[in-house]
Amino acid sequence: MRARRPLAALAGRSAGRLSRLIGRGGGSAIGGLVASVIDPRFVRDSFRGLASTVVVTGTNGKTTTTSLISGLARDAGRRVMTNPTGSNLERGVAAAILPYMDWAASLRDPASLHAILELDERVFINLGTKLHPSVVVLLNLFRDQLDRYGEVDATAAAFAASMDQIKSATLVVNADDPALVSISRSHKGPVIFFGMDGWCGEDAPDVWADVGRCPECNARLEWSWVVFAHLGDYRCDECGFCRPLPDVRVTNYESRGLDGATYVLETAGGGHRISTTLPGVYNAYNVAAAAAATHGLNLDPGTLSSVVRTAEPVFGRAERIEVGSTTLVILLVKNPTGANQAIDLLRSEARPLDVLLLLNDGVADGEDVSWIWDVEFDRLAVDRVTVGGIRAQDLALRLKYAHGEEIADKLYVQNGIEAALNKALAEEPRFLVILPTYTAMLELRSICVRRGWVTPFWRDVA
Amino acid sequence: MMSSNPVLRIAYLYPDLMNLYADRGNLICLQRRCEWRGILTSVQRLEWGDTLQGGADLYVIGGGQDRQQKLASIGLSSRVADQILSDLGDGAAMLSVCGGYQLMARSYRAADGDVMTGLGVFDAETVHPGDGVPRCIGNVVCDWNNSTLAGFENHGGRTYLGSHTAPLATVRIGHGNNSEDGTEGAVVDSAVGTYLHGAVLPKNPHLADHIIRLALARVAPEFHLDIMNDTEEWAAHRVALRVAGVDSSWVDEVTKVGDTRV
Repeated sequence: MRARRPLAALAGRSAGRLSRLIGRGGGSAIGGLVASVIDPRFVRDSFRGLASTVVVTGTNGKTTTTSLISGLARDAGRRVMTNPTGSNLERGVAAAILPYMDWAASLRDPASLHAILELDERVFINLGTKLHPSVVVLLNLFRDQLDRYGEVDATAAAFAASMDQIKSATLVVNADDPALVSISRSHKGPVIFFGMDGWCGEDAPDVWADVGRCPECNARLEWSWVVFAHLGDYRCDECGFCRPLPDVRVTNYESRGLDGATYVLETAGGGHRISTTLPGVYNAYNVAAAAAATHGLNLDPGTLSSVVRTAEPVFGRAERIEVGSTTLVILLVKNPTGANQAIDLLRSEARPLDVLLLLNDGVADGEDVSWIWDVEFDRLAVDRVTVGGIRAQDLALRLKYAHGEEIADKLYVQNGIEAALNKALAEEPRFLVILPTYTAMLELRSICVRRGWVTPFWRDVA
Repeated sequence: MMSSNPVLRIAYLYPDLMNLYADRGNLICLQRRCEWRGILTSVQRLEWGDTLQGGADLYVIGGGQDRQQKLASIGLSSRVADQILSDLGDGAAMLSVCGGYQLMARSYRAADGDVMTGLGVFDAETVHPGDGVPRCIGNVVCDWNNSTLAGFENHGGRTYLGSHTAPLATVRIGHGNNSEDGTEGAVVDSAVGTYLHGAVLPKNPHLADHIIRLALARVAPEFHLDIMNDTEEWAAHRVALRVAGVDSSWVDEVTKVGDTRV
């Protein structure tokens, strides 16, 4: 039924325009949804004959990594198509390709077009493999919204099962994640590893880490160092499984707290000194993943330093908003690993900080809020903390058990996002760090738009 | 009065395997609520391959994925099992959640058909109907001791109680043991099993104190557990009820008069 695709494209484009016209900011994926409903094969039939297709998947860092690879490709003069920020289901991919189609739903000059797409780890197995990817980036695998995503082992098994279908792709894999390395061993095509080059820190993974045991033989893994969660240098004394030496390595990492970090990225083409406003060691992983992906795309890594230096934090990922004398920093948190990373980042800050924690339990947040008990809130030292969102009281309770009843003197509880924001801003702090879950971030950002502090996010999408 | 603070020995079983739904929140809760009452706690973490060093007054185990649960089931070798069963027979208490609860019952047939033999603390069997059948996922509210228990459940296995084991609670919203007979969890002597996480104890402080009392009965039967200011606990409980669409007025009544002990 070839006739369906042009209709799907037309309807999708119209829906997208209408959505923007009436100012429904998050509507960037609406057009894609409409197109996919009219023609269920719209996406898989459309991704043909492209110069390259890069698929980025994993639990944390997809949006930032995709944005970095897109930046590197654009800087090298390539035509780049990418999905609207964070919109990583089938509809988001469909929305990405719509603007590149003519009225007959044919791609204009596909041979010069590079698709760089983030994909939700659940849809990767069914969709990612059908996009004929030339590069697949596997970032990490952490527990995330178990009520929606299921158990981590199930996702790992799905990744492993998909290796057969992407034989010709270059696999870019986090060397420090044992589960992903184990999966990559059955890949027939080329594999590029990225990771840390030595790390001073813990020598054991978090107690609740998802990979404490050898993915090959179930014996206890031994660790030389752990960067965070279960990412680190591991070996199995039982079967010999161990961390491969990364092809792209982060060395000399120095944090500048919320302001960013400096480090050196060692690649086959030499060392690149990186100075970036993307904060946290988790972002160093994202940068290393992006650099490794450029090898898979045969891009010149020479522009790496300049592209990363000018890379702005993407939507809600350490995004900064100036409000009068206060700087708001928004760090989206979706799971315990992300939240613990945010807390580590705050610990590296010398400046006094006020914190606003926002916990919703919508489908996109995960209806199960138990994950906050895996977050090391006892490590969070703050001057003043406000909690908000539908499940604000769960956060207040978590903080009580982390800090004792003394926390009550500096803790404020407001369920409404706007009320919580007002409360947090009342004392005009110099810095207010906001840790929202996904739907809380959308609501927070629409408040910021309404107040004229930022532009709607769909305008940020090139 | 505080001259002889009781000491509770807690054994935390397989924190490296059975830790999926943040059930360590239960351990944090038990430790804190003891500490706030002047009860000392020692925690022994039994990781896979370890043997128990001495016994315990309170055993805690959480939920895990099938692969980890199989390992834990193997790890509960006869020596560890004997110690646990002997302590329970001697009046020790237990809180087992989700996969841990399944392991403490007689048997668990996993989605792949493998059968794991449990400790048999509870007269119950669990069957996973296969990956094609929807899991029991969502908010749960149960009736328990003229009060409510609130939490979240996420399990594939369906547990059926035998005649020698009573349920912990009655399901009002959610699935509970098997989404058929309205039962939730299990109780035998001082051992409690439940599918509720969230974690279950922090926002159900009456259940937390119930478990502590069960454990204390063996160590310091005379010790009086002080009533605490549980404002935050009940506030979170109330929100959980509201999210599940259950009237929360009983909580308001109880907390209004200041007696948070049920």
